[in-house]
Amino acid sequence: MSLQNEEMDVVLKIKRYSPEKGYWWQEYKLKVDRFTQFTEALRRIKSEQDPTLAYRASCHMAVCGSCGMKINGEPRLACKTLVIDMAKKYGSNVITIEPMDYFKPVKDLIVDLDEFYQRMYKVKPRLYPHKEVLEGNVEQRLKPEDQRELWKFAQCIWCGLCVSACPSVKMDPEFLGPAAHAKGYRFLADPRDTITEERMKILIDSAWRCTYCYMCYNVCPRDIEPVTAIKKTRAYTRLAKEKTSIAQTGEKHIEAIFNSLLETGKLEEAKVYLSTYGLLGSIKDFIYLFQSGKVKYALVKEKSVENISEIRKILSGDNK
Amino acid sequence: MEKVSYDVVIVGAGLAGLMAAHEVASAGYNVAVISKVFPTRSHSAAAEGGIAAYIQGNSDPNDNPDYMAYDTIKGGDYLVDQDAAELLAYKSGEIVMLLERWGTLFNRQPDGRVAVRYFGGQTYPRTRFVGDKTGMALLHTVYERTSGLGSVDFYFEWFAWELVRDENRIRGIIAFDMRNMVPVFFKAKAVVIASGGMGMLYRHSTNSYINTGDGYAMALRARVALKDPEFVQFHPTALYPSDILISEAARGEGAVLRNVKGERFMARYAPKKLDLAPRDIVSRAILTEVKEGRGFPGGYVGLDLTHLGEDYIKERLALAYEAAKSFAGIDATKEMIPVRPAQHYYMGGIDVDITGRNPDLVGLFAAGEAACVSVHGANRLGSNSLLETLVFGRETGRAVVEFLKSYTEPSSDIDKEAEKMIDSAYEVVKSESGVHFGEILERLRDTMWDYVGVFRDENGLKTALSEIMKLREDMKKMYVLDKSKVYNTEFYNALELKNMLDLALVIATSALNRKESRGAHYRLDYPERDDQNWLKHTIAYLRGNSVEITYKPVKMTKWKPEARVY
Repeated sequence: MSLQNEEMDVVLKIKRYSPEKGYWWQEYKLKVDRFTQFTEALRRIKSEQDPTLAYRASCHMAVCGSCGMKINGEPRLACKTLVIDMAKKYGSNVITIEPMDYFKPVKDLIVDLDEFYQRMYKVKPRLYPHKEVLEGNVEQRLKPEDQRELWKFAQCIWCGLCVSACPSVKMDPEFLGPAAHAKGYRFLADPRDTITEERMKILIDSAWRCTYCYMCYNVCPRDIEPVTAIKKTRAYTRLAKEKTSIAQTGEKHIEAIFNSLLETGKLEEAKVYLSTYGLLGSIKDFIYLFQSGKVKYALVKEKSVENISEIRKILSGDNK
Repeated sequence: MEKVSYDVVIVGAGLAGLMAAHEVASAGYNVAVISKVFPTRSHSAAAEGGIAAYIQGNSDPNDNPDYMAYDTIKGGDYLVDQDAAELLAYKSGEIVMLLERWGTLFNRQPDGRVAVRYFGGQTYPRTRFVGDKTGMALLHTVYERTSGLGSVDFYFEWFAWELVRDENRIRGIIAFDMRNMVPVFFKAKAVVIASGGMGMLYRHSTNSYINTGDGYAMALRARVALKDPEFVQFHPTALYPSDILISEAARGEGAVLRNVKGERFMARYAPKKLDLAPRDIVSRAILTEVKEGRGFPGGYVGLDLTHLGEDYIKERLALAYEAAKSFAGIDATKEMIPVRPAQHYYMGGIDVDITGRNPDLVGLFAAGEAACVSVHGANRLGSNSLLETLVFGRETGRAVVEFLKSYTEPSSDIDKEAEKMIDSAYEVVKSESGVHFGEILERLRDTMWDYVGVFRDENGLKTALSEIMKLREDMKKMYVLDKSKVYNTEFYNALELKNMLDLALVIATSALNRKESRGAHYRLDYPERDDQNWLKHTIAYLRGNSVEITYKPVKMTKWKPEARVY
């Protein structure tokens, strides 16, 4: 146990907001030690320097999800971030703190999360067990490995950081967003749940609207990997009875990639594109390619990679 | 003044409040739940190690609920009401299985049944758990369930300020919408206070920042008594120096405490139970080691997990591992975790019986940490607080439903009373100069830690009381710099401080009054337990600047007091 302390003078530059005054930046100087969390730094500013500063914080141990904000531009929980660590990482004792992106500002670091909560409720975030189980007449058991798999995704603390960092949420109002998908998958995959069909209807179309940019994976303070939940949800598409056009296109796309790899071991983009969107759908884009002089790229004939048999072996083993 | 009407208003959206809300709403009554934070931000989320339960067919074959009640009573140093301990034990299995059915992802045995581990003061292992984030797992389950009913109105980020009463019954509460500072009179036939604990009164606490004892103070100002307010629990293993809780689950899974010489010092203090002795004993042991020069420089000891193995630590004690890594830079698979005691739980609370009903005010109920049932007595066993929130949250909800069945409308008008309460809150905004809440708050937290902490004596407690009286004077000069009405957190911090000072006065006075040592209340000048004079509950009322103390007998059923040896 080697607890080495050190101290540092830092300047926290906080982006403040009020409906009357709009945005402004304000600087606070304070001395921090090796163990000072940003929530503690903010608490000290509020009680020792400027009581008007507004922010949210509750548990200070990264389980309540109150203190999401941007620190030096990174979406983070203030409690889970040490001041000295950020100063060292950026080589500067001037650190900026801003409210989370995407959400409407309310006051200083506090943003409006109502719309975020609405997304969470859309996925019906609760277990619907069999009636017999709910009434306590039947005991249900859960395999330890299922518990481990579900618990990973159940640990979402509704902090909103992933949504603040997600480009698809901003672009596509039909996309439920990473947090809601993690929550939705936790119940979709629970063998004790009875409304799987309904959950598929809610989740699958949305799952194909994610662009796999991995920002949610990068910023999640609980390492839940919402993008993994989305991938796993997509795998349910083949079980779905009704499929939206987004889901159908998605499935075709995956199949086309698979076939391309099986055939040549390479991703033949033109062929994948054609298989995904069909001849008719591709014509318009083909004209665009022609006009922009890029059509030659679409006509490249790929040769198979060496050892294609090895690739085929892996693909068939994985798939069947 | 805006007004709304509900059958029941519940203050607090942690486990106890939500469980009560679920019960009342399921019976067809309309319910408002008022919380300073969004429900999943409640302090229940921070509970780590587990929930105790005797489950028929899934417990040690030698165990039974009576042993569980006995452990609770002995752990609480015989200040526990024994009917409450029995109810807690006998309903424990049922409530855990209910939460399991609702979807809580309890850790499992290989055969798929709910797993179990040891906690301090347990004769047989009874703690059910979800890694070391049990509170979070339970809170999310109950919130998701309760919000799914569709018939509970959640007012989150609303600040409950005063109880409104007439001559003898509760009439509702005054609360502020934090977004715009609009005060609303919530008229109600019954009110349940489930507002949690008060850790922010202490310099060092494992509690959330929101735990400012609001419910206790609201009750005190409405002429309602607190029971056993001198009993404050300190958790022995808070991470040094951030005071983040390192769950008792660590010791339950086999971790040991060591001093600077590497000695397993608990052998000196609890030769049989060692590191799994109850929290009051371990807390005093750690501070004694430090005081006698066997702690590490800075004043802490080591919690050694290293022999448990990396995989086991990362699955079952994930949060402890993560906290040590993130907040102290310690790799718990290779090094000891630096720990010291910090305030953790409040055994005292609003005086209620085993149905959650308060005897001072018709229609007032309380549950969870805000209440004193009394099921923890002088010292709470680990894993019993999550259990209490759910069992007594539900019992209270049921009692509220019974109460509503025979409810009659009062005829008197109390709107004027409510107006006055709103004006009293606004006083701090009207002042043009004075002191900020922070100046008073920091002095209060040091005073409580230094003199009303793990070790107490007459001189210290008197010093604390005179300081608290001074702070209450200073508070009259308190003012709020932020004049905006939008999410004015400074205004609410000022009101919280008023609450804390009301509570602090009652805690310190009651601690000075109890001239014995029992459980977490340890008097250096009276180091022995004194059943002859003090086997009784303190009942404390706040009367302006003074505290009036009376007593209530402890309810005994089967167990006679005996020496508390571990």
